[in-house]
Amino acid sequence: MIILETKSLQKIYTTRFGGNRVRALSNVSFSVEQGEYVAIMGESGSGKTTLLNILAAFDKPTSGKVYLDGRNIGEVKENEISVFRRDNLGFVFQEFNLLDTFNLQDNIFLPLVLSGKKYKEMNERLQPIARRLGIAKILTKYPYEVSGGQKQRAAVARALITNPKLLLADEPTGALDSHSTDDLLKIFNAVNQDGQTILMVTHSTKAASHASRVLFIKDGEVFHQIYRGSNTNEQMYQKISDTLTLLATGGDYNE
Amino acid sequence: MNNRFFIKFAAGNIKKNGNSYIPYILICMFTAAMFYIVKSLSLNPGLETMIGADTLNYILHLGSIVIALFALVFLLYANSFLIKRRKKEFGVLNILGMEKRHLAKTLAWEMFYVFIISLLGGIVLGVVLDKVMFLLIVKIIGGEILLGFFIAPETMITTIILFVAIFMLIYLSSVYQIHMENPVELLQGSNLGEKTPKINWLIGILGILFVGGGYLISLITEKPIFKAAPYFFCAVILVVVGTYMLFTASSILLLRILQEQKSYYYKTKHFISISNMLYRMKQNAVGLANICILSTMVLVMISSTSSLVLGMDDIIETQYPNDFDLYFDGLDWKHNEKAYDYIHQIQQEQKLNITAETYYTYLLVSAINGKSGFLPVPADTVTGESNEVNFIFVTLDDYNQTMHTDKFLNVGEILVYPSRKDFAYKTLNIFDKSYMVKEILNKTIGNGIIAESEADSYLIVVSDREEMYSLYESQKKEFGDAASNICSFYGFDTDKNGGEQEELYNLFIDAFARQEYQGIVESKADAKANQIGAYGGFFFIGAFLGILFTMAMVLIIYYKQISEGYDDRGRFAIMQKIGMSRKEVKSSINAQVRTIFFLPVIVAGIHVAAAFPMISKMLLKLNLRNTSLFIKNTIICYLVFTILYFIIYHLTAKTYYKIVNKGGIYMP
Repeated sequence: MIILETKSLQKIYTTRFGGNRVRALSNVSFSVEQGEYVAIMGESGSGKTTLLNILAAFDKPTSGKVYLDGRNIGEVKENEISVFRRDNLGFVFQEFNLLDTFNLQDNIFLPLVLSGKKYKEMNERLQPIARRLGIAKILTKYPYEVSGGQKQRAAVARALITNPKLLLADEPTGALDSHSTDDLLKIFNAVNQDGQTILMVTHSTKAASHASRVLFIKDGEVFHQIYRGSNTNEQMYQKISDTLTLLATGGDYNE
Repeated sequence: MNNRFFIKFAAGNIKKNGNSYIPYILICMFTAAMFYIVKSLSLNPGLETMIGADTLNYILHLGSIVIALFALVFLLYANSFLIKRRKKEFGVLNILGMEKRHLAKTLAWEMFYVFIISLLGGIVLGVVLDKVMFLLIVKIIGGEILLGFFIAPETMITTIILFVAIFMLIYLSSVYQIHMENPVELLQGSNLGEKTPKINWLIGILGILFVGGGYLISLITEKPIFKAAPYFFCAVILVVVGTYMLFTASSILLLRILQEQKSYYYKTKHFISISNMLYRMKQNAVGLANICILSTMVLVMISSTSSLVLGMDDIIETQYPNDFDLYFDGLDWKHNEKAYDYIHQIQQEQKLNITAETYYTYLLVSAINGKSGFLPVPADTVTGESNEVNFIFVTLDDYNQTMHTDKFLNVGEILVYPSRKDFAYKTLNIFDKSYMVKEILNKTIGNGIIAESEADSYLIVVSDREEMYSLYESQKKEFGDAASNICSFYGFDTDKNGGEQEELYNLFIDAFARQEYQGIVESKADAKANQIGAYGGFFFIGAFLGILFTMAMVLIIYYKQISEGYDDRGRFAIMQKIGMSRKEVKSSINAQVRTIFFLPVIVAGIHVAAAFPMISKMLLKLNLRNTSLFIKNTIICYLVFTILYFIIYHLTAKTYYKIVNKGGIYMP
């Protein structure tokens, strides 16, 4: 079953004085199956962030369509978009985006509070997730009191607690040390095995090598993709490196 | 790096940080202007000629000290936002190789610019505001005001000294903050924020003690305001300091309690607003206390001034019981009766229609209320000390006739009417005589002399003329030429209008003088015209300061919203990313307003209530005896003020919303 589908996405930015038009995405079409773990790679300026913003409904495409679980997100009304996002998507950001005003528990509760859930229900949902992510003991701490890895795990818990259809991760390992990176990737694999669909945008070959499929974007188009098949993480790593080398040297790679 | 570099660099920094610096400079300017205006008013030469000049003078001096204190706290508070937002910039400079001392130097130059601009601007603003308000209020009152427009160079110097001191303190606190942190902490500075505060019971208890102490002084001090200066000064300072403490402690406590109520806390609106407020509660509490103190000042000013204006008629009625009031101060009864007959003669010549009249004879004796009873003193030695009293002796016949009563007294018995303070004695011992108090009266014969005197007065009704005459003899023996005479009062009303009354008044004065009669002729119509001039000064000062403080309050609320808006911007952006809609942002902002909104106004209301005895004592000295009018008026002022406050807060909440929303994610 296809959970996410994009059809010929195009995004053109017009500069302030209307003169220059910058094509961030020229033609992006791909689909993600339920339960898949997809990584999107590409260099800076390749259009990754624009793509993610459109998928997250932060931004609208110039043309083309995005379907989430069969629903065209371009047709979601402006005043429903926040609720739509909250109910269907979970976010993990490079900079964690935890609020200093809340302790970890309240940070994780935030989307549920916005949905008007009762404390009892929120707490019942939180406990298994917190135990699984190893943050059960630090829930009453504030973000400025814990490490980067712990912050990111709290952010993952916040993304998962709504049972989203799709978990969107934007460079989730970007601000983490190698040890925390390993922890986080293990967590991603584990939740993916439980059936959580994940779409991750990343620079990191290591992070991408954990995914079941890697999409490469160059100059606003899907340039190539690698399926894991029966490859191990190490083999995936090698394949991704090769592709990146090709991308970087600009070789006329033909599939 | 030479000085030229820092001079230029600092100027550039101010320009670059315009959106934080401009409101800050405006605030500094306005604070300086406020201090200048109040301080210069207290030195205004026109003040000397006003009724109750020393009281007013004292209040203005006190006011300027409170404003100086307020300026210090408020500018430190405003600066804390500024420094917090600039820490990142300092962190980058520090990493790029600027040493801490270079940063301190840069900051010094920035401060210097801000100081010069805001002080010059503030003084100019002060002078201009002074002039504009003066013209405006003269127009409103429509009469002469004894207070002229006045530029006070010495006040400018005081203002400069005060602000040099305040800026030095601000500078030191900023440098300390920057010095205490390493570059990495500085870089995170604006995000790191303060830690969620703990409840501080000590500060809370101290706050309660301070405020309570201040209240107690206001409630129990009996002395007139200008004699009890140190006490009242203490009371005001205690309440101001206590308010800051109380707000800091109690607002954290309140929010903590709300946070514990899980079913309340975990609601979209409350969840975000409570945590946001708690997060920067220390700053927030100071902001709220600032608003509370200013609100109190506005309320006190406006309510007492407007009561005075509304009570003016009431005052005239007590001081001028009739349209025309004549006080005959001849050597004896016969003299006075001759003058009385002469006035009658003029009345007939003028064919006046007399609608009401009162005639009675009285003897005024001043005394000091000492430990061993009342010690009589000559009337012309009375100076307005709080323990001075006036006794006005009248005969029973006169009282019964004027008041249409049929009271009866034996020899040695008296009736007492207390004008202000209760008469708490069973007997009155004066000279070598002792009188039994038979009854305390609740109605009096109108007498402007009683009403006008600053000392507490008692009307004493004695049994007969002989009794009064013997009192006269006793004091004649004691004081000789300084003794007061037996006087007569004659008051009457006519059917003439105000203008005609003033003409008649001149006629009576001339006649009185031509015949060389001793005494005073007064006219209500003439007095009214004069009173407007005299009390107009009070009204001017009250309205002026009321408007000034209201402006300051608007500015402070506005500043609070802007600075908190920039502070909260990033947080709301994150929340929108996670799935918070604009509507939810708006409603959580409104909740933030509502939770804390009423706190400063409620506390200001309590402050005003506690200050009430002090203020009513002051108004009593200005002959506003109508306390119920004052109470009613204060309540109306409070309600109007609350509505105004509500409007201001909602308008500025919009600004906050705009700022917060600009930082949000792009939404088509």
